[in-house]
Amino acid sequence: MTVATTRHSVRITGAPEGSPAMVFAHGFGCDQSMWRFVAPAFEADHRVVTFDHVGAGGSDLAAYDPDRHSSLEGYAADVVDLLDELALGPVVFVGHSVSAMIGLLAAGRRPELFDRLVLVGPSPRYIDDEDYRGGFAADEIDELLETMDSNYLGWSEFIAPVIMGNPDRPQLGEELTNAFCRTDPAIAKRFARTTFLSDNRADLAAVRTPSLVVQCREDAIAPVEVGRYVHEHLPGSAFTLIDAVGHCPNLSAPDALTAAIREYLSP
Amino acid sequence: MTPPGRARSWDSAPVALLRLDGAGAILDANATFRRWLGDRPAHDLRGTRLSALLSVGGRIYWETHLVPLLRLQGRVEEIAVELRAGGAPRRVLLSAEMHDGAGTDDGAGSVISVALFEARERSRFERELVAARAEAERSATSVRTLLTTTTALARAAGVEGVCDALVHAAVGEFRAESAWVWLVDGACAPTLRAWSGHGPQSEESAAALRAATGVARRGRSAADDITVMSDGHLVVPLRGADTLHGVLVLVPRAHAGDDALDRGALAATGQQGGVALDRAVLHEQSVSVAHELQRAMLTENLPQTERARITTDYRPAERTLQVGGDWYDAFWVDDDTLALTVGDIVGHGLRSATAMGQLRTVVRSHAESGVGPAEVLRRVDRFVRRHGVGFGSTLVYAELDVTAGRLAFACAGHPPPLLTRRDGEAEFLWQGRWMPLGVAAAPVRPPEAVVADRSGRHATDPGAPAPGAGAVELRAGDVLWLYTDGMVERHDRGLLTGLEELARAAAAAPGVATGELVSSLLGGELNEYDDACVLRLEWDG
Repeated sequence: MTVATTRHSVRITGAPEGSPAMVFAHGFGCDQSMWRFVAPAFEADHRVVTFDHVGAGGSDLAAYDPDRHSSLEGYAADVVDLLDELALGPVVFVGHSVSAMIGLLAAGRRPELFDRLVLVGPSPRYIDDEDYRGGFAADEIDELLETMDSNYLGWSEFIAPVIMGNPDRPQLGEELTNAFCRTDPAIAKRFARTTFLSDNRADLAAVRTPSLVVQCREDAIAPVEVGRYVHEHLPGSAFTLIDAVGHCPNLSAPDALTAAIREYLSP
Repeated sequence: MTPPGRARSWDSAPVALLRLDGAGAILDANATFRRWLGDRPAHDLRGTRLSALLSVGGRIYWETHLVPLLRLQGRVEEIAVELRAGGAPRRVLLSAEMHDGAGTDDGAGSVISVALFEARERSRFERELVAARAEAERSATSVRTLLTTTTALARAAGVEGVCDALVHAAVGEFRAESAWVWLVDGACAPTLRAWSGHGPQSEESAAALRAATGVARRGRSAADDITVMSDGHLVVPLRGADTLHGVLVLVPRAHAGDDALDRGALAATGQQGGVALDRAVLHEQSVSVAHELQRAMLTENLPQTERARITTDYRPAERTLQVGGDWYDAFWVDDDTLALTVGDIVGHGLRSATAMGQLRTVVRSHAESGVGPAEVLRRVDRFVRRHGVGFGSTLVYAELDVTAGRLAFACAGHPPPLLTRRDGEAEFLWQGRWMPLGVAAAPVRPPEAVVADRSGRHATDPGAPAPGAGAVELRAGDVLWLYTDGMVERHDRGLLTGLEELARAAAAAPGVATGELVSSLLGGELNEYDDACVLRLEWDG
């Protein structure tokens, strides 16, 4: 059966079947294309899997279930279903941003599916809470939803000129449309709430899978203190600070991120 | 244009222009942009990240959406964001292009050119559009939810059904995690009548009760008088026309991604629920009055004699809330004549209950000494035709001479009396057939099929004129059974099969008690939709 494979628009590249597998999970705001500068670097010695969460990229939008996907647990269940179906053996799961937490939840639930976790810019809670500094206030997340609202009006047209510019090559337009961080507006808004309003601090202690926290030296979404918090509360975790700025080192500093992952995975 | 002219154009352009490094920090900004920020000096801005000058929402959007797009396709266009630095918030449209360096680690070579257009009016217009669309989507969902809920409430039978419909709508349509209905009944404490999801904990019950009391105390108020409790539960009053029936309590889902409950539609559902409860209460009252009436009219103290024992059993239909029209009666016509009757009124409810009462009285008043079953039926039939009461109803009327043990009987469209002998023989008494009451006041022949098919069971000669009444001598140990069609008719078998089964069951054990016979025949599942009524007379000789 390839139900989950189709649902999540899975791409498998790299080393032949039986090689150690790496699964790359994208964060909020984009799709699997955000791994295109990093994932290929591991194809020589790994089976490399990229996929889209339901609602993003080429995923099956019909698979979106408001109940299941109202919490990160639902997305973690998706990851478990996918790994069960792919049967790659224990994998190295590389999760960016919210997918770091999704990976942690999945590993807590089914540890035998995971060899190691690489958590890029993780945050267990974005909203400040007493002594905990997540970086945001709840009403600021409303601002994000508003910004998303003002922008998805033009979101499809944004890509349209490319398609219209190549009337004789519609497949090019199609390819480009799918290539760049397309998300379903309604699902994206709920995913934004699920991402930024969840609190998964209590889940950290339950994870036994060895993990690496990769932290950018300056990150407006997941600040250094938050990365350290994850490292301190996650048993068996390593911590690497990379010299990169922003929340998406997989795009802005792919070489540094690749080196950090490679070093962690090297025996 | 000369280079200084070009520099002036850069500064005085009617749009804000910026150059950023690959990490989004400002390298250079034109005078327009600096003016927007309250004439910040150029050196002061250098190194500041553009995203840091946006609203927090815009900053997250920049990091999560725009950076990936800039890195992946090199440009973004017409992105609506809000500048928050210096003076009032300024809504702008942002277009940006990234040159070189995309896909490599940031640093040398990567430059982002940015243009910001002020878009005050356009933003306002777009926000109105977005708000209008959101509102339209919300009301479409509300209408859909309400329609489904109202339909379910309209279909619900009885108070229990309405309560069930409410909690199922709350969980199924409004997507609450759990829902409970508490009803208040006069001065009594509220009781939990229905729930879906998980049941209330004791402290939750206590809170719901306090809420219900609070709602009741507030009395009739605005349409949206939903109360949000400290634990987040929503309390929706269920108001009837004159009274508060109770409250619907919803436990909202608590996951981060869950949508808020639609309070407008919820308040409307509460109102619909109140109306539905009004209707259900009224209906149940009328049903209960009809039941009461029927019970009152069924003779409780049956006449007794040394030579015969009478027992009865009555089983109302289980599925329908409505009262059926089956009845029985037994009374003395004179010192030696005992009248026995079982009837079945067409229809249900109060109307048939009152018709039953009238027919019962008419039968009693026309049953006089020396009149006999045929004449009694004729008189009752005349009453039905003259007064339009109980048309089409059926009746068996029998008179037992307790000194001689002689039974005379007549049947108006009613199943024939059954006589079981001590030796196990069973006989249907097919004589004395009449049409149902009000149809034709003349005796008729029994159905041909019965006469031709069931030889030996009855003594009717097909050639003889139809007699108005039949007669039979009872022997010691004989049992006479009068009953209604609920005992023998079933949707999955014919009447004759039903009669055969009745005869077999009654004959198998002559001493079988009335209740046992009914139970064995109905088997617990037969009389879902029809009443069943039996009168049994055991003749001791």
